[in-house]
Amino acid sequence: MLQRFLDPTTLAGISGLDLVARTVVDGFVAGLHRSPDFGFSQEFAEYRAYTPGDDLRHVDWNVFARTERAYLKRYRGETNCQLTILLDCSRSMKYTSHKIDKLEYARYLTASLAYLAKMQRDAAGLIVFDDEVRNFVPPSTRQGQLARLLHAVEKAEVGNRTDYQKPFSHVREFLHRRGLIAVISDFWEPPEQVVNTIAPLRFHGNEVVLFHLLDPEEIRPQFRDPALLEDLESGATLEVSPEYAAKEYPAKMDAHLEDIRSKAKGAGLDYFLIDTSRPLDAALREYLAIRRGRM
Amino acid sequence: MGFFTPWFLAGAVAVGLPIWLHLLKRHKTDPKLFPSLMFFEYRETSSVKHRRLDHILLFVLRTLMILLLALLFASPFIRRTAAAADGKKLTVVAIDRSFSMRDGDRLARAKNQALQVLGNLKPGDPAQVIALAGQVQALTQVTNDPGALRAAVAAVQPGDSRASFGELARYLRTLSEGQKMPLEVHLASDLQKSGMPPGFADLRLAPGTTLVFHPVGGPDKNWTVENVVAPRRVFDPKRVKIQATVAGFGTPAAKRTVTLLLNGRELQSKSVDVPENGRAQVEFLGLEAPYGFSKGEVRIDAADALPGDDHYFFSTERTDPRKVLFIDDGRRPRAELYFRTALDSTGDGGFQMDTQRPEAAAGANLSSFAFVVLNDLASVPQNLESSLEHYVNAGGSVLVSLGPGSAVLPRVPVLDEAIQASSYAGRDGDLFLTVTDMDSGHPALRSVDRFNGVKFYQAIHVTSAKSRVLAKLNDQTPLVLERSIGEGKVLAFTSTFDNVLNDLPIHASWVPFVAQTALYLGGGGAEQPVNLAVDSYVELRTGDSKGAAAEVSDPDGKRVLSLEEAVKARNFALNREGFYEIKTAAGRRSLVAVHADRRESDLAPIPAETLDLWKGTGSTDSTPLGGAAGTSDAADKPWGLWPYILLLLLGVAVAESVVADGFLRSSAPQRDEMKREAA
Repeated sequence: MLQRFLDPTTLAGISGLDLVARTVVDGFVAGLHRSPDFGFSQEFAEYRAYTPGDDLRHVDWNVFARTERAYLKRYRGETNCQLTILLDCSRSMKYTSHKIDKLEYARYLTASLAYLAKMQRDAAGLIVFDDEVRNFVPPSTRQGQLARLLHAVEKAEVGNRTDYQKPFSHVREFLHRRGLIAVISDFWEPPEQVVNTIAPLRFHGNEVVLFHLLDPEEIRPQFRDPALLEDLESGATLEVSPEYAAKEYPAKMDAHLEDIRSKAKGAGLDYFLIDTSRPLDAALREYLAIRRGRM
Repeated sequence: MGFFTPWFLAGAVAVGLPIWLHLLKRHKTDPKLFPSLMFFEYRETSSVKHRRLDHILLFVLRTLMILLLALLFASPFIRRTAAAADGKKLTVVAIDRSFSMRDGDRLARAKNQALQVLGNLKPGDPAQVIALAGQVQALTQVTNDPGALRAAVAAVQPGDSRASFGELARYLRTLSEGQKMPLEVHLASDLQKSGMPPGFADLRLAPGTTLVFHPVGGPDKNWTVENVVAPRRVFDPKRVKIQATVAGFGTPAAKRTVTLLLNGRELQSKSVDVPENGRAQVEFLGLEAPYGFSKGEVRIDAADALPGDDHYFFSTERTDPRKVLFIDDGRRPRAELYFRTALDSTGDGGFQMDTQRPEAAAGANLSSFAFVVLNDLASVPQNLESSLEHYVNAGGSVLVSLGPGSAVLPRVPVLDEAIQASSYAGRDGDLFLTVTDMDSGHPALRSVDRFNGVKFYQAIHVTSAKSRVLAKLNDQTPLVLERSIGEGKVLAFTSTFDNVLNDLPIHASWVPFVAQTALYLGGGGAEQPVNLAVDSYVELRTGDSKGAAAEVSDPDGKRVLSLEEAVKARNFALNREGFYEIKTAAGRRSLVAVHADRRESDLAPIPAETLDLWKGTGSTDSTPLGGAAGTSDAADKPWGLWPYILLLLLGVAVAESVVADGFLRSSAPQRDEMKREAA
């Protein structure tokens, strides 16, 4: 039932990104089972009997004084994690084979991540890029940061072709503090180039997660007839037969996805492929998993 | 196979439409946007396959639809030979009984040939016997009774008509259309070349017609009396001149004796040298004929195989000079003088003029006059005018001259045209009127040289509502008018016959004008000829003489008309040689001499090549001959294919709809995608 609210086609009917983000995150959180892993934070979670080997620093000595039993005091995770979202708004992001295009999906995802970060009191920032950095909202936990983020996301329009070199060199200058970097893009570049460009972000101790947004038609194109295709970014045209699109293209695409996945993993980047026809919860779950890994 | 409207086949070029839709249009599809062409490759096969005819079935159906539509409008047809499928055929035995078959035993041989053909028929085979002469006569119906067929052959008698193979071909075409089966025609004939029609196309046969010739004659030498020129009426027997032409066909030079007979009595005889294969003329002077009709004959001693053409009948009538009634009121004596002088100078015209005052003429028996002349009468007594009208209705003729006297009358007597005014020209100077328009072919005006040089100073202007204007003056005043009333006729001359209102009487054209007018009005001009060829027609009555009985006696003296025919028949066909006595419904009697068509005397046969060509017109795959042959034949009826094409077209259209519907259903997702893009 809650899945319905995370479905991108449903979200497309909701006006205002803040409402979209709230709908997504609230619906997602409500349906989420609490994680069994506990972190160390200010929020009390439970007491547990001391067993040999436990860190004595976590023993609640007040309880021990009253009951002469050693209990460990456990807290929910608390952090000052900084989330920076890099949103690709190149022309290829405009493509869609169904109701919402990739850029729209990316807006929902960005808004949802920002809202989720706010809920967890994380500093969230945004960089919009194509072949240049088009917009930059520095990460912050200040009041109104979410509104600024959503406004920037709202304003993000398709630009030119993707070029990771130039904007990412700038991004490295903007990021002075370690944190979590989420790159949302369709990554229509050779995997080596993508990974080689993004991997340096890891060197500063950042966690980098690649959200690879692809339309289902990009993964498995369905052509009944021969078609004349035009590249959204370069404008080049090519005649494509349905036989090629049905057999050779999927094989190449699978190889490409596997290549980019393996290269990302090899470079220590988290990679997550998102089909834009699927609900957003899988992406959010991925974010939380990574977020938890930083506890 | 052919097309009624072949130009519609040009519509087949519309077949390019489905080709364009299926092949070219698809090739020009708008580019489809795609995020990246990283994994697409250009391949030749892709481009070629792009052009392949997608939805082959739909394409074929659409192409077929257009082709069928063009074919439907072009109205194709096939020529279907009648009843060729059941293998039956109709045997037609044609026996020539024309005049030339009297030569020797030609007819007997022809009948023998016909009997042989009938003997070869299988029991139950349909056959018909026909006789060929000027017209085709079916002697039997289509029957398989051998007895009836043989009896019909035996009953064939020689005729005096001329053979017409064109008529035979026309009859066979009609028969083929009616019987719906192939014909096998056996023609027993001497195959005279003179029996051929003017155009070979008239000989064409219906497809499926087999023509078998049974020639029974060949070239034979033959002398004949080809023509006789004799006067219709004899007024003075001593001044009569009779010319006869003797011709030889395939004959050597020879001397022939030519004899003139009248009523069976030999009058004169002459010898003439006829050149080889040529002609010679003989002239007889004087003809002592008794009063009344006489049966004349010119005969030669030919001693050839065809004695029937060795004589030539002619008819003549001995009569006194005909009287002409000249009605004059005495005001213009010179007119009478000029007219009488001109009439007397016409030679053997045989006219005798009698002048009377109008009052006297009113009581005269007009029927005894050849024609009546009204010379510028200032007044016409009522009883005279009614006598004249009755006279004209019965076949009499009147010549009316108009002048200052008759200008006071409201209407032209008998002619019944209104008198409007006088057209004047001054006598001084050169002011006069001349004739500009004239019917020079009219019998009364044939040799008047268009009244050349004649000056008209005054003419009476009359209307021409009921009359035909034969000549006009240069101020458009009618000068000569003619009107037929009943069986007679009235001629009006709108000027006088003296040299006061014109100077015609002192010109050379005056005598021919009077002579020809007298002959035209007084007899001969409008009368039927009395010397005719076999198969000619004589007129028994005009439209105004219904109810009165006509009479025709054949050469044997028998009356040939039934009572009903006597009161109703308009004309009568003369189909035998000899003398026919005719009494028309108007009461005029005449003796008509009928002779066989002299083309029958030329016994030269049709060349074998021509006969082969004629046979070839009946083959199924024959090409039409001549322009007229392009029309449909009786047994070769065009059979339109449009109903079948229409049904096929409907079937294809339904199939196309079903296939296209399936195609559209399968394309529904693509349509949704397009709608989304449009949104």
